[in-house]
Amino acid sequence: MTADDLTIVLVAGLTATACGLLGPFLVLRRLALLADAVSHAVLPGIVAVWLIAETRAPVPVVAGAAAFAVLCVLGIDAVRATGLVASDAAIALVFPALFSLGVLGITRYASDIHLDLDSTIYGEIAFTPFDVVTIAGVDLARAGVVLAVVVLLNLVLVTALWKELRATTFDPHFGRVTGLRPRLLSRLLLVAVAITAVSAFEAVGAILVVTMLIVPAATAFLVTRSLAAMVAVAVAVGWVGAVAGHVLALTFDSSIAGAMGLVCTGCFVVALVASPRGPVARLLRGRRRVPEFFGGDVENPGPAPSPR
Amino acid sequence: MDRLSLLFGLPYTDTVVVAGALVLGVTSGVLGSFAVLRGRSLVGDAIAHSTLPGVCVAFLVLGTKEVAGLLAGAAVAGLVAALLMVAVERSRLRPDTAIGVVLSGFFSLGIVLLTHITAGGNAQQAGLESFLFGQAAGLLERDVAVMAAVGAVGVAAVVVLRRALAATLFDRAYAAAIGLSTRAMEIAVTAFLVAAVVIGVRLVGAILMVAMLAVPTVTARQLADRFPHVLVLAGVVGAVVGVTGALLATRGQLPTGPVVVLVGVAVALLAVVLAPGRGVLSRRLRLARRRRTARRATALQDPATADPRTRRRLVSAGLLTTDGALTPAGRAERAAVAEHLALWRAWLDHGPQIRLRDAREPDLLNLVGTLDPEALAELRERAGLDGGGR
Repeated sequence: MTADDLTIVLVAGLTATACGLLGPFLVLRRLALLADAVSHAVLPGIVAVWLIAETRAPVPVVAGAAAFAVLCVLGIDAVRATGLVASDAAIALVFPALFSLGVLGITRYASDIHLDLDSTIYGEIAFTPFDVVTIAGVDLARAGVVLAVVVLLNLVLVTALWKELRATTFDPHFGRVTGLRPRLLSRLLLVAVAITAVSAFEAVGAILVVTMLIVPAATAFLVTRSLAAMVAVAVAVGWVGAVAGHVLALTFDSSIAGAMGLVCTGCFVVALVASPRGPVARLLRGRRRVPEFFGGDVENPGPAPSPR
Repeated sequence: MDRLSLLFGLPYTDTVVVAGALVLGVTSGVLGSFAVLRGRSLVGDAIAHSTLPGVCVAFLVLGTKEVAGLLAGAAVAGLVAALLMVAVERSRLRPDTAIGVVLSGFFSLGIVLLTHITAGGNAQQAGLESFLFGQAAGLLERDVAVMAAVGAVGVAAVVVLRRALAATLFDRAYAAAIGLSTRAMEIAVTAFLVAAVVIGVRLVGAILMVAMLAVPTVTARQLADRFPHVLVLAGVVGAVVGVTGALLATRGQLPTGPVVVLVGVAVALLAVVLAPGRGVLSRRLRLARRRRTARRATALQDPATADPRTRRRLVSAGLLTTDGALTPAGRAERAAVAEHLALWRAWLDHGPQIRLRDAREPDLLNLVGTLDPEALAELRERAGLDGGGR
């Protein structure tokens, strides 16, 4: 493994850490698809930066993208807060609208210059070792530095507000009654997701971020019973994806981000098949059908009520 | 198509696009309603992303970018993804997580396949991923005919199965108890969705299909409470949005997909804000009206402590003189308000003991108007108002 390979794995691992800290909250709050929404909603930001400043330098592009990412999550939150639209439908309304704005902007004003979306915002993790900054005389991959800062911020957010986030995630009404502010905490979390997503898109590409936010957290959800364990397992699964995915990509000369995503998905499949309610456990238990009437779930029969 | 072309006064190619948008609007409106009402609006998103590996495999097998082949690959991959989502949901995971996991897994697979195709050096592969973004301009009359056929089958199936589908949708346990195969229904609904998404891919692109599925039902849901009405309205809204968007796009020489989606989202948000009785605006107004009534009631009890605005309102209604005393009309109004409050209090205290003519609960804000006369008399008696006279 060369130094470049190590850099790639470390950057992916940092992405996994940043995402693993937030992903469980998204999964538990039924907002798993927010990351995907953000990955599309940043498009008008990039186009606007191009139209206004005619630049594709990372800093203004990330700033423009972040502005629209935050706009997207706050818009979703506002539509959801009306109580008239479910959160999944709110996501489905807001991000296609922003994405459409971006596409319109490109075709109307920027079609003559080639604004290559894939390379502008949806970065490629294989190139991270070549983009270095020098800090205190040491050459460091810029993406690694940015992601380390994001990891630190997320860590501070999650540890400082651990109790509050946990309470409002599982029981927003209890949170409100005890004087916490569920709306504010929810917005804070959404903004953190937006910032994490945008800074990671630029480094490692959108699909890897989306995958790292959802899949490790979903895997952890299946195998853990406490929030702390869920976060720890989510980060660990992300790292497994980063390391094993990179090895896989090297072996088969394939897309690094794609291979890492596939490894994470593989972990999920294993957890799903082996989980206490998965097909294996069901097969071992025997397919007993418990009528709904006796408190069983018709689709997933649990243990039969014990006869007294 | 020629006659349609004359009807709209548009060139032939634009007419094809408008007709396609009409078909897509109706189809996605009707077929999308199931996903949206079950809290799975973003299923379309996952299906859309899962078409990428399908397209790649189809290309690897066929070796060309023939549209029919790629569409077939997209449809098969979408169906597999959708069925996997149903399978994943059988664990403890929530629908949105199941959708997200399938989306990530399939898109990662798609990217891996895409890199292999690119490395393979087949010159034809260029632009394969742009299949996801859709191109209305290249739409042919034949495409619209195929879309219409698939859409018609889907909509007809929904019409035939609507009762079974509604039972499954709103009360699984009941549906299972009356002997419906809920799993077969679920698979049918999923297949409809895949059909809608694959239809839309050509016109608006896979990603914008998400909005095409959600917009009609969100709008219709603001305007109707009964499922059949929502279903019909969603079809109508989809059609209107599709045609309006496509016409605007051809007028402004803009890409069809984004314009249709922007029109649709604007319509949905307007419906959320303006829907009569249910929308944000009407709820605000209702709340403001109730607040005003409550303030007025308090002010009538004790005009001296009332805030200036309420007092001005009372004065202009002729209930209060400018020096702060109640007019005769004001005194009568105060008695009426006091009576209303006494009745309300009495209802809260003794409501369960009062025999009602039917099982309907009265409106607490209008007890006099909504209680039947005997019950009202009894309530008055309990409130000690006039000994049940009248």
